[in-house]
Amino acid sequence: MKFNKKRQTLFLDPHSVYGNIESKINIVLSPSLYWVKKISLPVKSVREVKQLLPSIFEDILPEGNYSYSAYKSEDEFIVFAYNDKLILETLSQKNIPVSNVAKIYFAQSEIADIDGALKINESQSIYIKDSLLILVPCCWIEEKGVLDLSKIQHSKHTISLAQFGHIVESKSLYKIGAIAMVLILLLGIEIFITTQKTSAVLAIKDELFEKNSLKSTTFQNKALLKKYKSIYKTQTKIRENISYVLGLKLKNNVKISRLSVKNKKILISFNGVKEGTQTYITKALKSKGMVFKMSFAKEIMNLEVSL
Amino acid sequence: MNRVNPLHIAILLVVVLGFMLFKLTKATDEYHESKDSYKQTLTLANELSGLKKVYADKNKIKKDLQKILRHSSLRSASIEKTLKKNNMTITSQSIDMTGLNFLLGKVLNATYQINTLKVKQLSETKASLFLEIKW
Repeated sequence: MKFNKKRQTLFLDPHSVYGNIESKINIVLSPSLYWVKKISLPVKSVREVKQLLPSIFEDILPEGNYSYSAYKSEDEFIVFAYNDKLILETLSQKNIPVSNVAKIYFAQSEIADIDGALKINESQSIYIKDSLLILVPCCWIEEKGVLDLSKIQHSKHTISLAQFGHIVESKSLYKIGAIAMVLILLLGIEIFITTQKTSAVLAIKDELFEKNSLKSTTFQNKALLKKYKSIYKTQTKIRENISYVLGLKLKNNVKISRLSVKNKKILISFNGVKEGTQTYITKALKSKGMVFKMSFAKEIMNLEVSL
Repeated sequence: MNRVNPLHIAILLVVVLGFMLFKLTKATDEYHESKDSYKQTLTLANELSGLKKVYADKNKIKKDLQKILRHSSLRSASIEKTLKKNNMTITSQSIDMTGLNFLLGKVLNATYQINTLKVKQLSETKASLFLEIKW
């Protein structure tokens, strides 16, 4: 819920003196803090007028960065130029924190219907000439009173100060902002493309699982691969060892009478081998790196090769 | 003073840029991780499907073995074959050397998974045989 708080209004002028400002206040700018013109232009909207303001004020403004404002008054436009930095410096000089400023108005829009001159400080007065509020020294005109802003009804014509306008120009700010936005956009596109690429890779991976009838988890598949690799290793070893043993050059009376493979072991019986005459066989097996045990029964040598 | 402070916009843009960079780094990392994972899965799938084709293709193994057993050199061996769910046993009480050499040559030179093999010499020309092939 928003409450309409009645705030104190202060007439800001470089020559006025103020007490401590601790609560939020509205500011009415003295004519010494802005330039004003009343013009008639063949345009309809205030927006169009604003675009023309830099060139309208070009000849009268001292060098510096200015902001512009305008509003329509009957068939004419009241246009303003103001220096944000100057107003901020004045606020600072008068010990008015910017954070305590609620709204800022031009005296022109707020004090439009005064009768005669009104004193604003010891040395200056304001009065209306040709519908424009102007500032004059006290001695020029006889005042009818002191300006009282306590019962003022504010208009809708407020302005905001560009606090950093004097450091970075608005155009530069827009350019930096635009570059940042483009970078953000490019990063966004890159993120989108990368995410799409990741999704595509994951889709191909899923296809791979389906095509090769793989188990659902990598762990299961690795276990299965380990099992088949072990089978491959054992089977290759069986073939290598049998082929080597069968290829051995045996003595004439020696023959292989039995060959069996079971439980990762190869059992071979050599007929005609007496204990002590087997050296050429065991030497050959050792040279191949085979691990074996042997036993003798009569003239039979039983060899047990571990796979 | 409702005008937005450009410093706030700049901070917001920097924060958004930082966030986007963080998201991009995360997305890139995820992409590389998924690519690595795909490569690993591809290698695993190739190895696994190759080995499965060799050792677990029941129909192919059965078909090939039956073709071998129909060979003329094994006719005299009176070979008995028994088919079970996970294996096939080939038994002969008396097989001649030609038949034995032919059969062992075929089995040992192919990639069948030999679970049991028993060859016993009976005489100069005959032997007994028990062979169990698994899949």
